[in-house]
Amino acid sequence: MKIPISWLSEFIELKVSPEEVAEILTMGGVEVENIERPYENLGELIAVKILEVYKPEDLKDLAVCKVTDGKETFTVLTTAKEQVKPNLIVGFAKPESLTFGFEKVEIKSVKNYKSYGMFLSSYEAGISEEKEKLLILPENSSPGESIYKILGISEIVLDLAITPNRGDLLSIFGVARELHTLTSWELKPLNFEKSLSLGEKFPGKIEILDPDGCFRYAGRFFGKIKVKESPFYIQKRLWLCGLRPINNIVDITNYVLLELGQPLHAFDWRKIEGKTILVRSAYPKERLLMLDGIEREFTEEDLVIADAKKAMVLAGIMGGEETGVSETTEDIFLESAWFNPKRIRKSSQRHKITTESSYRFERNIDPEGVIWGLLRASELILKIAEAQTYSEVIDVYPKPFSSPKINLPTQKIVKYLGFSVPSEEVEKILNKVGETKKTDHGFQVVPFSYRQDLKIPEDLIEEIARIYGYERIPSTFPESILYCKGPSKKLEFERKLRDILKSLGFSKVITYSFIDPKSLEKLNLRKEDRRLNFIELANPLTSIQSVMRTSLIPGLIETACFNFFREINSLKIFEIGKVFFPTNNLLADEPLYLGILLMGNANKENWYENLRKFDIYDLKGYLESLFKTLRINIDFKPYSSEPFLKKGASFDLYLNGEKIGFAGEIKSLILKEFDLKTCVFVGEINLEILFEKFERIEKELTIKRPPKYPSTFRDVTCIIKKEIKIGEILDFVKTLSIPYLEKVKCIKIYEGPPIPEGEKSITIRFWYRAEDRTLKDEEVNDIQDAVAKSIFNKFSAKPR
Amino acid sequence: MISDEIEKLKKEIWSSFEKIEDLSQLESFRIKYLGKKGKITSFLKLLKDLPLEEKKLLGKELNELKDELEERLREKEREILFKEEDKDLGLDLTLPGRSLSIGTLHPLTQIIDELCQIFSRLGFEVVTGPEIETEYYNFTALNIPDWHPARDMQATFYLKNGALLRTHTSPMQIRAMLERKPPLRIVAPGKVYRCDADIRHSPMFHQIEGLMVDRNVSFSDLKGVLIYFAKEVFGEKTKVRFRPSYFPFTEPSLEMDIECVICKGRGCRVCGSAGWLEILGAGMVHPEVFKAVNYDTEIWQGFAFGLGIERIAMIKYGIDDIRMFFENHLLFLQSFK
Repeated sequence: MKIPISWLSEFIELKVSPEEVAEILTMGGVEVENIERPYENLGELIAVKILEVYKPEDLKDLAVCKVTDGKETFTVLTTAKEQVKPNLIVGFAKPESLTFGFEKVEIKSVKNYKSYGMFLSSYEAGISEEKEKLLILPENSSPGESIYKILGISEIVLDLAITPNRGDLLSIFGVARELHTLTSWELKPLNFEKSLSLGEKFPGKIEILDPDGCFRYAGRFFGKIKVKESPFYIQKRLWLCGLRPINNIVDITNYVLLELGQPLHAFDWRKIEGKTILVRSAYPKERLLMLDGIEREFTEEDLVIADAKKAMVLAGIMGGEETGVSETTEDIFLESAWFNPKRIRKSSQRHKITTESSYRFERNIDPEGVIWGLLRASELILKIAEAQTYSEVIDVYPKPFSSPKINLPTQKIVKYLGFSVPSEEVEKILNKVGETKKTDHGFQVVPFSYRQDLKIPEDLIEEIARIYGYERIPSTFPESILYCKGPSKKLEFERKLRDILKSLGFSKVITYSFIDPKSLEKLNLRKEDRRLNFIELANPLTSIQSVMRTSLIPGLIETACFNFFREINSLKIFEIGKVFFPTNNLLADEPLYLGILLMGNANKENWYENLRKFDIYDLKGYLESLFKTLRINIDFKPYSSEPFLKKGASFDLYLNGEKIGFAGEIKSLILKEFDLKTCVFVGEINLEILFEKFERIEKELTIKRPPKYPSTFRDVTCIIKKEIKIGEILDFVKTLSIPYLEKVKCIKIYEGPPIPEGEKSITIRFWYRAEDRTLKDEEVNDIQDAVAKSIFNKFSAKPR
Repeated sequence: MISDEIEKLKKEIWSSFEKIEDLSQLESFRIKYLGKKGKITSFLKLLKDLPLEEKKLLGKELNELKDELEERLREKEREILFKEEDKDLGLDLTLPGRSLSIGTLHPLTQIIDELCQIFSRLGFEVVTGPEIETEYYNFTALNIPDWHPARDMQATFYLKNGALLRTHTSPMQIRAMLERKPPLRIVAPGKVYRCDADIRHSPMFHQIEGLMVDRNVSFSDLKGVLIYFAKEVFGEKTKVRFRPSYFPFTEPSLEMDIECVICKGRGCRVCGSAGWLEILGAGMVHPEVFKAVNYDTEIWQGFAFGLGIERIAMIKYGIDDIRMFFENHLLFLQSFK
């Protein structure tokens, strides 16, 4: 809501500067978002000095002027041929600036002549109604200076953010009244001449057929009006508030809407069939061509103003094209009403139209303001549109509004605020918001009709706190029992997980929960894949954020791309976030997933080792470290069934036989689709399952004493066929039930000469330890000999 | 006289001892005086021909000399060995070490952690909940019926099945109250969504919600807790102010501003010349909200607050484009180590 200080001052004497007024409003709950200077916002409207004037023969109606703004010299074309002469200082708008008439100034050319801006009339500068004459500035003005500075003209406009509960502040008068409440500065009351309420007999009929939609409907007839341009002061005020002037009648309705917050609508009397005005719900599929040029179809839930034959207006929202006021209108009917805010809001949403009028009706207008608005507009129509006759005021008001009686016990104020506002202050404040009576235990308040937001005692407590001043209420600490719960085990688990990954060098990213369905397509998923059964947004901002993610992988790959194209050649990232799957009810299944990604180089350029790319053993190693730290045993089963991973470099991850995720290298073909010319490894794990296991393990955890006696190791080195996997050998070793064996590990693999092609040399180390003594060499040798023999036999191994 | 000889020997020994500089000199010194054919050994051999008294006396003297010398040589050897290790090792210590790089947590994660810790210290339990919500939890139960203009304050993403992406963390107030019995204290961090995208608005962002319900918890207490919070996050000297505001689910409602951290209240680009930065919204829980969860408003009252994590991060770190949080540029992330 834009509040010009000059307009506001008509209702209340402002005793401080506009900045201080803004501070008072803001601290009273009416936030001033901006202090605007609309003239300055127009752009560079400056003084220029005319140096030379030409009237070339090939330009009929134009003169070419050479002018200076004090710095540069340029040409300007003007139709005011007779008015321009050298040495004159005139008002001028530079290209890109705006004129009062909402015109954007541009560089123009006519034939070979260029105009670098335009000369302004007083009207175009927003100074007076003078349209024909150029704005001539005093001789001593310096070229280049703002015309408003030269003329000493300034307007300050407060831009207020009005909260939805305070419809009463959507007007100049409403803000003045609020300032009065906050400061006690004197408010100038609205006064209307008595005769204005009277008039000739109304020449038609008004009826409310839908009393749920319309609580009050008032109006009157005006005869023989003159539709023309509004006087300058009306135009200027509309402009200051950001509205465009149209004609005097429309401008007056807008003027009163801004001034008093009462929306009005003017009908062309001629177009009202049967001179009957009906407030009714629309007929199903009833249509109306509206003022914005769009024809809309209504439902029975919409409220319309109709005549004997047709709908004329979508009530409280927007009028129809046909019955609106035009240049040829002679008689009008002026409506001032109070519609049901809920009905207006629903219609406005159904048809996606918000107007100054619907905005106010939705937020509750003052039921008593209906008549004030009508009278104020009458005053202006008589004066400005020169109406010759006018009717009585018709006021259909079946069930007059009455405010609730709110009982407010004093003790409740104290308990709620934790502070006792002095009783006389409380009474003074309550008197500002309604009729207040003292009762045995506190107060009874009947809020003023414009304060329909006040319904319950808590609302009044807010008024007390607000008007007394939030800043004046002390701050204390709550008293409460000491008992409290820490973060849940699951949050702790998540924290542990990310701390481990962080120390492994991974950075945590956060990507959007909504993704491009195409990014899932790119992953080459099979048709029946659950991840293609995603939840779609009904109103996405863009198609690339239109479905809820079913995997973290697309977001991670996007992040890899973003970094890759910014010269990041080594990336280790992870994300912990929800993925979303549909269920049978409204809510989704939202499991928490972990995604990790490695891209490019495994190390940075350095002096002690060669650069190398990440490989599958890096990914596996990181995941192993993670699971080991969590003490969870995960099986890495080659090969993954994920269609976007290179089969030969992938695993599915299993926990007690249940698949909890996958890990592997992304296929080059898929990376190509993302233009990623590097290697990318990813892994994804369902943390819900992992967490369950973790919680159980945490509970069962016992700590062993470190061994007392030394261990000893023996190696088996042999040559085997290349295809034999180390895992097969280790699995075989497990079946041997070897006594005292503590651990087994492959510690060396070698291929190449002198080992024959198709074979490899391996070394497997066995560590032995007894809990209660130091093992003897001979004992271990005997065990190891048997083990070696079994391995040699089983895998047809040859000694090295 | 043999004893004169010994005196001479002693002098010789100690003066050449002083000259020992390295292990080889030390070894030749040891051989020269203490070896099998060494001078002390030779003197000891000479003693056997002397009278008993003299033999005893000189023998003792020589043995003492030998012992002392051995002791001194051991010390000397240790001294030299230590010195040896201090010599130039031929290393270029200007080279960087073999460092490992540690990852970073996302700045928003760090802020969420910090805020959760602050409120945990005040006994608030950290809870989380669904991001896909129903109209009921997101709006209706929070006293925002479907015709309410307050719905305009939050442009909502709807799903095709009629559910929605929560527009704030406030539904967690309802969920937490339904799951628990009063008194309670919770904070609920998480992602929220609104149809809005520019350099100040992201369609996905983070909030943290707080709720305290107790018998006497008051508006003054709310102020106290929020001031504590602001000082913990922005520093002890942070100035705050409270402005009346409006949220359908609180009454009275307020917004808290902190003095602009950039210009210290003088007015700048960040705070838009106001000198104050809006940090959070809060208020006393509206009776309609308590009604929705069946809490008796004769006994229980409480306060709730909610704030944007991105906003806190942007103010704290002077970030002017919210989109940077979700681009995840590695260099951006790493600046929050």
